[in-house]
Amino acid sequence: MADAELKVFAYEDVVIGEELGSYDYILTQEMVEAFRTSVDDPEASFPTLGVKHDATAFAMVYTDPIGTVNAGNEVEFFNPPIVGKKIIVTGRIADKYLRRDKPYIVIEATAIDEDGRLLEKLSTYQLKKPDELGKKWHPEQK
Amino acid sequence: MASRTEIANGQIIPSVTKAITEKSILGFESTGILNLENIHNNPELAAKRLGTTYTLASGRMSITFAAECLRKFFGPEVFNHTGTVNLKFLRPVKAGDTITVTGAVNGSQETEDGTQVSVDLFCDNQDGNRTAVGIGTAIIK
Repeated sequence: MADAELKVFAYEDVVIGEELGSYDYILTQEMVEAFRTSVDDPEASFPTLGVKHDATAFAMVYTDPIGTVNAGNEVEFFNPPIVGKKIIVTGRIADKYLRRDKPYIVIEATAIDEDGRLLEKLSTYQLKKPDELGKKWHPEQK
Repeated sequence: MASRTEIANGQIIPSVTKAITEKSILGFESTGILNLENIHNNPELAAKRLGTTYTLASGRMSITFAAECLRKFFGPEVFNHTGTVNLKFLRPVKAGDTITVTGAVNGSQETEDGTQVSVDLFCDNQDGNRTAVGIGTAIIK
């Protein structure tokens, strides 16, 4: 998707249930090796975690000048992806809420492969005010 | 693979300890398909958005480390098909940190597919500070 088609993210305008980008890609051996090397685990079975299905789906629809911090992840594993297979991802905004006056959104992404095998479901809790966390981590920086 | 009779409340799962480097952070980001700049691979963006002097390791790296512990405990044939990981991130992880993931079985419940075993998960850095906490599960027959 071209940048010109991206919407500028605005928390107040996001609708719960809103569909995000739906896309597919081929999982390559190079991707698997890069992932396994980065996490120092030669048997790591879900390089899809490195692809960040949810964040990718979001980035295919929105540009976000404020940015985000990942506050938490929930992942369900169903079947490890297979090198050379096409992986199809769908994403949606599952929730939005305020906690301690800070805005959060929850993004869900589901991945299946070209044979219809369910691979992984991922939910990410994104804090859409990252500077607040920066202040918490480094209170000396006002 | 741990069998049902081998799993008991309080049982300790295998731990893993991972050295976080700039190379590992960037390597993890390189798995992506969009080549996006973010707070994990662009120090200027991290400084602008978070006020940090460093880039952050993706929280998904900790998810992967926790998944490794659970895969070693339950066995890949179980965990890779029935497993879950749920982590809340508490502190930033950055290059130079060493993250250790530990866990212990905290209970089980019967489901239609078998017995779902729950494991408390903890991620701590080299200073003993907790960087993430959560729960993992898998279903054993």
